[in-house]
Amino acid sequence: MLFYSFFKSLVGKDVVVELKNDLSICGTLHSVDQFLNIKLTDIQVTDPDTYPHMLSVKNCFIRCSVVRYVQLPADECDTQLLQRCSKKRGSSE
Amino acid sequence: MADEQEQQVPVQNVEEPLDLIRLSLDERIYVKMRNERELRGRLHAYDQHLNMIMGDVEETVTTVEIDEETYEEIYKSTKRNIPMLFVRGDGVILVSPPMRTGT
Amino acid sequence: MSYLPGTASLIEEIDKKLLVVLRDGRTLIGFLRSIDQFANLVLHRTIERIHVGKKYGDIPRGIFVVRGENVVLLGEIDLENENTLPLEEVSIDEILEMQREEQLVKQEEEERKKKAMLERGLQPHSELHDDMF
Repeated sequence: MLFYSFFKSLVGKDVVVELKNDLSICGTLHSVDQFLNIKLTDIQVTDPDTYPHMLSVKNCFIRCSVVRYVQLPADECDTQLLQRCSKKRGSSE
Repeated sequence: MADEQEQQVPVQNVEEPLDLIRLSLDERIYVKMRNERELRGRLHAYDQHLNMIMGDVEETVTTVEIDEETYEEIYKSTKRNIPMLFVRGDGVILVSPPMRTGT
Repeated sequence: MSYLPGTASLIEEIDKKLLVVLRDGRTLIGFLRSIDQFANLVLHRTIERIHVGKKYGDIPRGIFVVRGENVVLLGEIDLENENTLPLEEVSIDEILEMQREEQLVKQEEEERKKKAMLERGLQPHSELHDDMF
């Protein structure tokens, strides 16, 4: 639940989601669910020549299992809080 | 018995694999990923799936390309820096706690 | 509608025209009629769209039930932009032929890369093949 809560706190911020098929999609985080499925709005594909099928898409739903990375806005991440929460959960499990 | 006590990391016990990762919080770690990707960065968060958030990440990707004329293989290491990165746990092969491993 | 944990947000997309990218790289376009918590989908009036460079071709496919694990993403088609893309539609035969040529070239390159990586003791990337998602 840590990452679910964390991503919820980033709703409205711009992120870059990098998929396992090497497609990178940059967009505004619209919503996230407990499996970390992600919905983005106003998307842009970083390499539109290789992925022309994405040109007509503005908003998209990304299935959690295909995500490799999410590049996050560093200023919006409270690293102290993240570390505290990870420590707490780690020791209670 | 006494030996075992001494071997243990002080303050917190290490009983299961993820405990070692807990001790790496706020330290620079090395992560080997699938598809010949490697990450070096500071660990800010993790969960039981090994989903992680890392800061000041340097990613190294090793690829091979074929020269179109000579058909020679060219091995390339591509590096890039990412200030803050969420890493999905299913791509993680191993996590190595604070650097003995150079850089 | 009962509570669906997980992909519940897809309810908003029902009956919209969506583009679905599958793990094997295929692109389907159709109307989303039903979903569940795994992102299993029912697509209606589906076409498969094949892109090669700036050209594309559409093959009518009908109704599909797509198993969720094979879904990469669902995109909402921007209906205003749909017809102003810098792409050219060609016949099914033409696009299939172009796709075949492209696949042959790619396959050959992949084989060589795979061999080179194995020689170096590296794990070859299996870009479109299973087990990596």
